[in-house]
Amino acid sequence: MNVGFVGLGRMGSGMAQRILARGHDLAVYDVMTDRTVELAGAGARAASSIADVCNGRDVVITMLAEDAHVHAVAFGAGGLCESLPAGAVHLAMGTYGIATIRALTAAHAKAGQTLVAAPVLGRPDLAASGQLGIVVAGPADAVARCEPLFQIIGRHTRPAGSEPQAASAIKLANNLVLGCAIEAMGEAFSLVRKYGVEQQVLYDVMTEGLFSAPAYKVYGKIIVDEAYDRAGSTVNLNLKDANLILAAGDIVRVPLPSGNVFRDRILGAIAHGDGEKDVAAIALEQARASGIK
Amino acid sequence: MKVGFIGLGRMGQGMARRLLGGGHDLVVFNRTREKTADLANAGARVAASVADACRDREVVISIVADDTAVKEVTLGRGGVKSSLSSGAVHLVMGTHSVATVQMLAAAHAEANQQMVAAPVLGRPDVAAAGQLAIVAAGPGDAIRRCEPLFKVMGRRAFEAGAKAEGAAAIKLSMNFMLGCAIEAMGEAFSLVRKYGVAPHVLYDVMTEGLFAAPAYKIYGKIIVDGNYDTVGFTTLLGLKDINLALAAADQARVPMPSAGVCRDRLLGAAAHGDAERDWSVMAREQARSSGLE
Repeated sequence: MNVGFVGLGRMGSGMAQRILARGHDLAVYDVMTDRTVELAGAGARAASSIADVCNGRDVVITMLAEDAHVHAVAFGAGGLCESLPAGAVHLAMGTYGIATIRALTAAHAKAGQTLVAAPVLGRPDLAASGQLGIVVAGPADAVARCEPLFQIIGRHTRPAGSEPQAASAIKLANNLVLGCAIEAMGEAFSLVRKYGVEQQVLYDVMTEGLFSAPAYKVYGKIIVDEAYDRAGSTVNLNLKDANLILAAGDIVRVPLPSGNVFRDRILGAIAHGDGEKDVAAIALEQARASGIK
Repeated sequence: MKVGFIGLGRMGQGMARRLLGGGHDLVVFNRTREKTADLANAGARVAASVADACRDREVVISIVADDTAVKEVTLGRGGVKSSLSSGAVHLVMGTHSVATVQMLAAAHAEANQQMVAAPVLGRPDVAAAGQLAIVAAGPGDAIRRCEPLFKVMGRRAFEAGAKAEGAAAIKLSMNFMLGCAIEAMGEAFSLVRKYGVAPHVLYDVMTEGLFAAPAYKIYGKIIVDGNYDTVGFTTLLGLKDINLALAAADQARVPMPSAGVCRDRLLGAAAHGDAERDWSVMAREQARSSGLE
């Protein structure tokens, strides 16, 4: 397959490496041109522009950090909407907001192209090993054409329907549930600490039974160890996600009180200088609000 | 060991039977005498009063419904405090407020008795199978003396320190985190439904990855199926426990905004006639407030 890839950050570079290794014809592009060097060395063609990365492609994947970036890449002069061949697919794999996905869906349709939304679940190490979870939504024939790529990138693919926004809703909802779990842990850890209980005891009780899942094991351990400086996903990045979640609620009129608690806690953490720490540092902000330290 | 047992509700029945099966010398008391019949047939002596159930006992266990009941049993006329031998242990296994546990611990210390708080995690079937998780706090030597009892009633006993209220703080934190998980799922399921996504897609994404734990699998399934009439734990009991968590938070000065969200959601569910349904009906209350029901 002739594949283009835009956005070679920590997630994107791992995914692009996988696609290349499986013998697909790959053109890559990133605004930071040094990010293409390694992939070019492995046989990818380093494109000079968005228009160039679209040239002769069946599918162009975007894996960008922010909605503003995908707007620029898709709608800018020489962008995807102008440059992608008719009948080709824009496979949007970043976590983008509902409004952005709706705008992309309409613009590509108008240009005779197709948008498929396929946000991923997992961190850079899982991207590099092809073990991501993928949630995909879009017209069935376009989704089917992307299937060989999903098999390389992901451990499993969950279809969410024919409207691309559905995949975005699932991804944002999953992030909401995670944010709420971390916030709840923060509140609970502060409570038991104030009663003189070792945090490890709550961690053990929690992860042995009802909450024996990665969300609680991974983030609970960061909180107990206070290892906030080894950031997986930062507080700042989670502000972006929390805002996308709340915006998704706004659009369809779904009140999200826990989502708002999560967002306010994030803002407090950033206000106290913890924006670049791991998102589990919202537990530190909760401790601060409880008069601990 | 010579053990007294007060409170033969659904949990107490199973736990008392395990003690008897473990070869302990057991005296049981219940306000409603009929509930002692099965245990009497199995070899327990039925006491005529709380005082009778305390006579010559090394450990007296109480597992009663609420704070009022445990205060009456302990501090009332002929209660555990006035009847228990000097040096014996009152093992309090119900879920009670931090303030009540503190009050009872002080009363027993005054009478030269020991108190261990050891609330349990698990449902009646788990109690009957001797597979409860037990969180114990109190003087170290008193906990040691209770260990043979923990072994027959529980899968595992966690130690939460020398202050009895520490165990209450852990137990209340667990129920609080479960309430938050249900609330977050409620918000997330309403969100995806409004984007036209089948709820089971979110369930699959959630429980396959970050949230592959009983809390999300069990309650997520009840929500997806809308099966709120099969009651494990009612809205009103959930409300009682969240209020206990909030009271503990008040006392220790820990702001818990997520607990406030849960409490309000439970109140809304009760206001709409769902007080005696399973407390995961919180998700239906969220759907209602999103204009979905």
